[in-house]
Amino acid sequence: MARKRRRSTFTAGELNLTAMIDVAFQLLSFFLISAHPVDVLTNLDVFRPQADTKSQQESQAKVIRVTVFPDGFTINDRGVDSRQLTSLLGKLADLDKTQTVLIQCTNESPHGKLIELLDICSKLGLVNLSVVSSGGA
Amino acid sequence: MKEKREEEALNGNLTAMIDVVFQLIIFFVCTVNMQEKAIDDRIKLAMAPNGKVSTAKNPYEVKVDVSDNGLVSIARTAMPVQMLTTILRKARLDARGNEVPVLIRADARVKHETVRKVMDACTAAGLYKIKFTALKERA
Repeated sequence: MARKRRRSTFTAGELNLTAMIDVAFQLLSFFLISAHPVDVLTNLDVFRPQADTKSQQESQAKVIRVTVFPDGFTINDRGVDSRQLTSLLGKLADLDKTQTVLIQCTNESPHGKLIELLDICSKLGLVNLSVVSSGGA
Repeated sequence: MKEKREEEALNGNLTAMIDVVFQLIIFFVCTVNMQEKAIDDRIKLAMAPNGKVSTAKNPYEVKVDVSDNGLVSIARTAMPVQMLTTILRKARLDARGNEVPVLIRADARVKHETVRKVMDACTAAGLYKIKFTALKERA
């Protein structure tokens, strides 16, 4: 009686462990294979100016106007590439980081260009970004 | 005899428990990122290495996807811009005065024209805070 009891507990314990390790490895390999790394995302905040364009026109002297074209940018009607834009915006940002950057974007330019500009603004710490659609054509 | 029954009972309980625990683990691992599956992975986001890492989620925010062929969609449901305006207006009313940011996930290659239409829909719905999603770091 005593011998039988020992044998039964021994086999039961070993069986359980093997099956569990099998299943655990299955799960481990399944999740290792099916898992894919996640990209780090960022959100670039912009504001849409309210519809009253009149007040916009009046205060335009204080703002930086940047226009995005498919092949470059203009800052206050001066054509620049992205490197010149960074240095120019950097100088302006040193004066006042809260000044408004009024961004216009032509219809034909890819969205990536706008993101590039927003990224530059984010790097320089400019926070008041407005994207307007008037005169974009 | 009594001792044997106790041991068997212990073994049986343990096996069932492990089974259930694994079931639970599988269930939670499979369901935890169900929400991520609603994201359209054909959209190739533009790189913005200097942007801030997106922080706490606003429960009222609306995610709008713009694919490279100019298709506007929310949670993989494509829709015309007029319908987007209606949905955004409803979202603003549902938020009862809370701020409703609109998250635009637009493909880097899509023309600004389409993105502008989406932004115009936001303006028409009375939403003025817009966030563009970009890629900070490729995995």
